[in-house]
Amino acid sequence: MQLKRPASPLHLGLMAASCALLSETARAQAAAENAAEAPLQIDASVLYYKENAGRVQTIEPVVSLVKDFGDQRLLVGTLTLDTLSGATPNGAIPARTQQTFASPSSTSLTPKPGYKTTLYAIAPGDLPQDPHFKESRIAGDLDWSQPIGLDNTLSYGGHASTEHDFDSVAAHAGLSHDFNEKNTALSAGVNEEYDRIHAHGGNPVAGSDYALYEKEPSQTKNIAGGLIGVTQVMGRNWLTELNYTFDHSQGYLTDPYRIISLVDATGAVTSYRYENRPDTRTRQSLYWVNKVALGPTVLDLAYRRSKDSWHIGSDTVDAKLRIDLGSGMYLEPHARWYHQSAADFYNLYLIETAAAPSYMSADPRLAAFAATTFGLKFGIATGRNGELSLRLEQYEQRPSDQSSSLTGLQGLDLNPNLKATIVQLSWHLEY
Amino acid sequence: MSAGRAAAGGASPPPHAPEFEVVPREGGIVAVCFVAMASPCELLLEADADAVREVGRLAAQEAWRIEAKFSRYRPESIVSVINHSQGHAVVVDGETAALLDYAAQCYALSQGRFDITSGVLRRSWVFDGSDRLPEPAAVTALLPLIGFEKIRWQSPRITLPAGMEIDFGGIGKEYAVDRVLALVAAHFAGAALVNFGGDLAANRAPGTGPWQVGVERPDTEREARLLLELSRGGLATSGDTHRFLLRDGVRYGHILDPKSGWPVRDTPRSVTVAAASCVEAGILATFAMLQGSGAEAFLEEQGVRFWCLR
Repeated sequence: MQLKRPASPLHLGLMAASCALLSETARAQAAAENAAEAPLQIDASVLYYKENAGRVQTIEPVVSLVKDFGDQRLLVGTLTLDTLSGATPNGAIPARTQQTFASPSSTSLTPKPGYKTTLYAIAPGDLPQDPHFKESRIAGDLDWSQPIGLDNTLSYGGHASTEHDFDSVAAHAGLSHDFNEKNTALSAGVNEEYDRIHAHGGNPVAGSDYALYEKEPSQTKNIAGGLIGVTQVMGRNWLTELNYTFDHSQGYLTDPYRIISLVDATGAVTSYRYENRPDTRTRQSLYWVNKVALGPTVLDLAYRRSKDSWHIGSDTVDAKLRIDLGSGMYLEPHARWYHQSAADFYNLYLIETAAAPSYMSADPRLAAFAATTFGLKFGIATGRNGELSLRLEQYEQRPSDQSSSLTGLQGLDLNPNLKATIVQLSWHLEY
Repeated sequence: MSAGRAAAGGASPPPHAPEFEVVPREGGIVAVCFVAMASPCELLLEADADAVREVGRLAAQEAWRIEAKFSRYRPESIVSVINHSQGHAVVVDGETAALLDYAAQCYALSQGRFDITSGVLRRSWVFDGSDRLPEPAAVTALLPLIGFEKIRWQSPRITLPAGMEIDFGGIGKEYAVDRVLALVAAHFAGAALVNFGGDLAANRAPGTGPWQVGVERPDTEREARLLLELSRGGLATSGDTHRFLLRDGVRYGHILDPKSGWPVRDTPRSVTVAAASCVEAGILATFAMLQGSGAEAFLEEQGVRFWCLR
């Protein structure tokens, strides 16, 4: 035991440093505890989507709040607004002569008292598109998740959206179970959705002659689905997840705004019918995603295989590489390849003399096509808990069937390529 | 399904059974015992056995939290994340930032002798009591990977050159002792003492008088137990009891000089220091060790209570 001396300058320096460490971390801890009591994450983004050739454009602001109630109990609320405007293909093919259609909100093809008629004409050779298309949608989601015991997480939530011609409500619940020292998680979930379709001007009678302009009151459909999945930590740098999803839709699955052209043996358009889809659809898909950390660079590689009872089969390969640029910045190139086969009732047009099929559609979304997306995202940290990012993407869809050998249709691009540009600005903040 | 699982750092359970035991001791003291940081850990409280379970659980969880977050052996710890960052910047939280600031200050105050990047020398030095000294060339080859000044540290961003490593080995356990004591004091009104494998801190003496503390100072022949009294403050011990090499009659202790890569010569076997906190006591003991034969003189100069064993 030595005599007590005054502290040396070095000791004073160490004292000060030690005190600073303990008070600084106590402060950080208190802040973290406060955060654990009321941490809030806010995500806000605006997405702009624009198709080429004056077709649809969308502006979609989304605000999402994640509130952490501690002990991994999370409440997530999301509000989405959509405004869609521009021209949208009505399903009919281009023709050698001028074609005239009525906007869906019309209640008659010919002007008469008490009815509304808005017509649009399509020049010879042009793709018939409804120029008056305008829609806005508001959607809200609320999700809750909480642990049950040490190894289980329960989540459930609801969704509601409304627009002029479509209302939807949905609910889902899921359970995941961790085991193998939290290296493996098994998940299962179910969801149920109920939709009401009340098209502008009424829902057309599916498969009916366009010239009759028969409309019906609103229709409904419901979708029940389920999911099972496994997530596995494969190593320090590799996480893999495999999901199988199944859903069954029943009800009015037809698009009330789509028609299909009928042509004669020469390829001249003679009439149109409203499309008509089966009233059930069963879909299954297998989704495999891998996250691999290559140092600070993270590779996200996913594959999806889907098929449905309409015989649309699809494959998707999606790759993202997040490259850390240092100083809180990152760059994320993105590439996606997609391919699908056509629905078995899809046709570019129907031949009027042939027997009318029970189901018919010329919706390009049900056609066989290949699509690619290439994009780049740039993110930058704003302060300790924020991030600002900008995403630019180019989408291109190339249908397999675009032309016809019928003399009257030769040289016409019956289902043109679609190109779209996507710009998204996102902001993330944690309190 | 949580895709964020891979990135969940610091929250995984400790590898040992996360359990603690409540053991009544004499004199109205209850001990909460658990294992953390490869040490037997003990929390002594002046209370009834049934009143301490909750605070005992908090204490053990805090120790395990700090271990999981800062252990270089845990792949998900922030230290591992930094050590595997391959020269890229890592943004750290407030607690890690405070520890890095502390390490930077200690590096400056020791004129570069206390260096949290010196752990790479373990690749050459294995202190197993044998006579196997490393090849001098192998040690020299590691020196370019050492030097806190090579780190770009500007809170909250650290950029560690590829190949370099940091560890909080000289700070972490003492820090955990002080943190746990602060946490206990916030939830428990009575006298408390935290002892993690001989590094300890107390908030005040129990009603029956100062804490009686036995500091393990085993040397090669016998157990020399130092019995001390402590009312409040920290106590830390630095020693090379079982961690040394012996060759041609020269003892090579485990305290390495980051400038040469070789053990500091003539260090005491053990240095115990009392100070206001365990962190402060620990850094003084470590600094003293780095002085080698000058350890005692150094400690006298600092004006602290200390016990050296040679």
